Amino acid sequence: MSNYIVELENVSKGFPGVKALDNVTFKLKSGEVLALLGENGAGKSTLMKILSGVYTKDSGTIKVFGKVIDEMDPVKAQELGIAIIHQELNMCEHLTVAQNIFLGRELTSKGILSDKEMNYEAAKIIKRLNIDIQPETIVGSLSVSKQQMVEIAKALSTNAKILIMDEPTSALTSNEIDELFTIIKKLRDEGHGIVYISHRLEELESIVDRVMILRDGQYITSMDYKDTTLKEIISMMVGREITEKYPRIERNVGKKIMEVKNLNAGNHVRDINFDLYEGEIVGIAGLMGAGRTETTRALFGADPKESGDVFIDGAQIKIDKPLDSIKAGVVLVPEDRKKDGLCTKLSIKENIALPNLDFISSKLGVVNRKKENNMAEKTVKDLHIRLSDFESNAESLSGGNQQKVVVGKWLARNSRVVIFDEPTRGIDVAAKVEIYNLMNELKDKGIGVLFVSSEMQEILGISDRILVMADGRITKELKIEEATQDIILEYATKFDKRLEMKKEA
Amino acid sequence: MKKKLLALVLIFSLVFAVVGCSAPEKTDDNGQNVENVDNGTNGEDSGESKGEKFKVYLITMDQMDQHWVTVDQGAKKAADELGNVDYQWLAPDVKDDAKQIESINNAIAGGADAILLAANGPDAVTATLKEAEAEGIKIVYVDSPADYPAVQTLATDNEAAGKTAGEEMLNALKEKGVTSGKIGVVSVNTSTDSTVKREKGFRAAFEGTDFTILETQYAEGDAARSKDAAANYITEGVVGIFGGNEGSTVGIGNAIKEVGGEVIGVGFDKSDTILQLIDEGYLLATMAQNPDVMGYEGMKTAVNALEGNTIDEDYVDTGVSVLKK
Amino acid sequence: MESNKTPQKFVKLFSKRGMGQVITVSIGLVILIIVFGFLNPNFFSNRNISNLLRQIAPIILIGVGQSYVLITGNIDLSIGSVVGMSCMVSATLMTKGLNPWLAVIVSYIASLAIGLLNGKLISKAKLPAFIATLGTMTIARGIAQIVNNNYNTDSIGSAAEGFRNFFYYGKTLGLYNTIWIAFAIWFIFNFILSRTRTGRHIYAVGSNIHAANLSGVNISSTITKAYLVSAVCSATVGLIITATSGMGTMDAGNGYELYAVASSVIGGVSTLGGQGILLGTIVGASIWGVLQNGLQFAGAPVAIRNIVIGIIVIISVLLDVVVRANKNTSKAKSKAKS
Repeated sequence: MSNYIVELENVSKGFPGVKALDNVTFKLKSGEVLALLGENGAGKSTLMKILSGVYTKDSGTIKVFGKVIDEMDPVKAQELGIAIIHQELNMCEHLTVAQNIFLGRELTSKGILSDKEMNYEAAKIIKRLNIDIQPETIVGSLSVSKQQMVEIAKALSTNAKILIMDEPTSALTSNEIDELFTIIKKLRDEGHGIVYISHRLEELESIVDRVMILRDGQYITSMDYKDTTLKEIISMMVGREITEKYPRIERNVGKKIMEVKNLNAGNHVRDINFDLYEGEIVGIAGLMGAGRTETTRALFGADPKESGDVFIDGAQIKIDKPLDSIKAGVVLVPEDRKKDGLCTKLSIKENIALPNLDFISSKLGVVNRKKENNMAEKTVKDLHIRLSDFESNAESLSGGNQQKVVVGKWLARNSRVVIFDEPTRGIDVAAKVEIYNLMNELKDKGIGVLFVSSEMQEILGISDRILVMADGRITKELKIEEATQDIILEYATKFDKRLEMKKEA
Repeated sequence: MKKKLLALVLIFSLVFAVVGCSAPEKTDDNGQNVENVDNGTNGEDSGESKGEKFKVYLITMDQMDQHWVTVDQGAKKAADELGNVDYQWLAPDVKDDAKQIESINNAIAGGADAILLAANGPDAVTATLKEAEAEGIKIVYVDSPADYPAVQTLATDNEAAGKTAGEEMLNALKEKGVTSGKIGVVSVNTSTDSTVKREKGFRAAFEGTDFTILETQYAEGDAARSKDAAANYITEGVVGIFGGNEGSTVGIGNAIKEVGGEVIGVGFDKSDTILQLIDEGYLLATMAQNPDVMGYEGMKTAVNALEGNTIDEDYVDTGVSVLKK
Repeated sequence: MESNKTPQKFVKLFSKRGMGQVITVSIGLVILIIVFGFLNPNFFSNRNISNLLRQIAPIILIGVGQSYVLITGNIDLSIGSVVGMSCMVSATLMTKGLNPWLAVIVSYIASLAIGLLNGKLISKAKLPAFIATLGTMTIARGIAQIVNNNYNTDSIGSAAEGFRNFFYYGKTLGLYNTIWIAFAIWFIFNFILSRTRTGRHIYAVGSNIHAANLSGVNISSTITKAYLVSAVCSATVGLIITATSGMGTMDAGNGYELYAVASSVIGGVSTLGGQGILLGTIVGASIWGVLQNGLQFAGAPVAIRNIVIGIIVIISVLLDVVVRANKNTSKAKSKAKS
């Protein structure tokens, strides 16, 4: 079956100030997994939103199963068999799995809901996907990865033939990724067409048949995966050859900045001890559930802890709340930037100013607007944040630029230690490099850099020292020269059996 | 944003339209309607009269109660008779200290020569009254005085009226042969001076008797909630219930009607429903104030004072009529 | 297998979402009743039980209306004013000689108009619910005042006896009609909420309006329906008040929207939207009614009454916001397995 089930031709879409799509052509076959690749802002999301009826195109044609579709809307898209699974989960947390699956298409008999039938049907789909959930569980009580499976089940329940998956693996453990890929392959073999959008280029190998690349709203190329290499793909995504993916710089290790002793906070942070020196980047590696984020939060004072002594430049600092940490010069760039890193409804300028109001206000607390503007301008310039106007809401920025704002607001402060938690998650390649450069700049200035990452390559690429965590403990400390993926993985799975059981809980 | 602005503007204009419509009509002494609040302005020595007419404002607690409407009618009647009065009635839409202060200020700004005032409470408006007096405005209290010297106060002696009500109830109970038992009181709240005084008077009438007056139930004068409170009293086995104002009395009457009328109910104020309940025998009596007298005599006093005469009586008890079957 | 069915159904009933809080507050209600009865045995007299149930009925009604709106994640501040408007409109028309039942219909129509306005302002014009219903609150109260030229009405007369009996004074099968009316309306709206598509959508909109939208739920229609339900409930209470007093009073219903919120929140409806069941609202309304009634029998001075009621409301709201917020953060923490 090599007919095209979706054909978008010469589709264009503009927003005020930005042409998101410029004459893009997109074709999807049945029975294939097509990777839609491109940096953030390349137009992938916009293209898929047009296909799924959320946006209306400015020009071009949409053909689904050979039929031309004039006016696409979400209801029509669903009828045609198009389902999109967004990166941000769209679940009603108060409702059950079955209720979410059938939301908007509830089965009724004479006007009354047929809950029994819906539970039954939901159970069928869930079983087909081999997931371990009950249809009557309240979605809010499920883990993020399980919620994602519910999203997929929901898509399937609409008899979708065309599945669009946006960053499906970003919140999954490696086992869950395997399960997901099994499902995807099964669906592909059954004739579904699957569009796979992801920044995790390394995953593509296991799942993708064909790739299509967009850059700056334009169609670049498409080809079979086997006919290309990762390097080639990346260079086409960014428009230039990226020879060195990780810009490592060499510096001498200076004096000790921070010492952490005896940090304990619940099950996920157990007896953590480590030091941080000037002129080095320390990466914290480990699998999901290892306790890395919890450790950074406990250190920063965002979560309560049972014990823990922190010394900055030799002096002990009492950290009970984030403010204590910030005052001591230890700042955190959190994992969930939308929830914890930014006030999305405030402007970019206000976000940058927020933790720095003490610098830019008068004694009475009046904010000096000129200083605020200057600070915002400098940060935008220094970090090359791409935006049209820093008065617009922070949520209007792409992921990478949002991340830069999160980091930028701390840099205005002359911090002593900057902790990054998954700094490059959901960010395009070029922006990633900019974040690495940023970390290097901090290293160069003698500011301590601690970062948590689930990307092995990234840890190996940019760290000088690596702390491997598993099950709440630091299982190994490695100098970069002695670190390999294998060793890291070995120590990241030191408490393997218990980890498995925990993931199920 | 635009949509939000538009909607807000719409709502506000609707609100203003409604408030504008619901304000009482203003008439000058020729009986013609004039603008709601005067656009007259400033710096005028209000010691002088504008032409030959005195500008007199009546400021009551709210616009809703028939009581105030009647005061207004009395004032209007006097103004018409006197012929030299430019009369306006101002009142906030609800009983509220801040809003009443606003009304007084509006009157001052409007060039008032005299203000007939029914003060919400004794203290809230004193500062504003001081300003009024500084402008030379004559102050006459109708119904409820404030704690500030004025030309005259014309009011129901609420305490005396309350005592009268109590005495009526005592007599009726005696006639039935009841000399002891529980009595209930349904009133408005603890901050309205008039009703507080009435309750005080009522309770005084029962001193030294074998009757117990229970904890007062305050229902803000809401007729339905007052009825609930009264019904609860009846369950408690009271032999009599006292109502502090119109709404309370309506509620009491309805409660007594529902169970058959053994309980003696006495209340305050006059309204169609209350009169009917008295007629039907479910309320013994109501103390009808004479708000029209307050307005009428109050206007006369104000004009008298403006014409330069001294007023002898500080306090005029406009009294109550005891309305029975 | 057979023998397991009944206990299983029982367990299922109790583990149904929302029942936890309902059970807790029901226990609270029982304790309150016992305490008040202890303080004054008259509280338990037949007459008072009858009266009490009838006093609770209107609170249940406004509670149902507000709960519907709260579950969608909004609020209805116009409830009290619509009660007043309905009271005044019906009474005024009756005093002018209109057949009471026609007057009833007009009241419902006027109230539904307000409900519709609320729904459209919030879902189409995207006004925040607080602002929109604050506006309609003023409009409805204004109408209540204009409709009889700023006076309370005269007596609605003997032609309205049937009406008064139906809504308030009459009894059926030993219980006041008011109670039956409240129960019937509660039953219908509870059914809709728990067993129909509309009801499911109401929960979905309150839980995650974006997800609901993407799933094809008609957000505008759903929100409007919630406000229409609220309007029907408020209109009914206004009519009950007209029947009670035999006249229209312009300040009827003053403050009721907040009692409605209190009843809903005590019963487990969250002001954050997406959860709560109407069974809880009955318990919440009952607690409110029992407090009003019981404190009188206990001879509590007015200051104590206000404080007690205020404390109970604050505790319920605290539980609502704090406990639920904690649940969210601890869930978020367990999700951040890193």
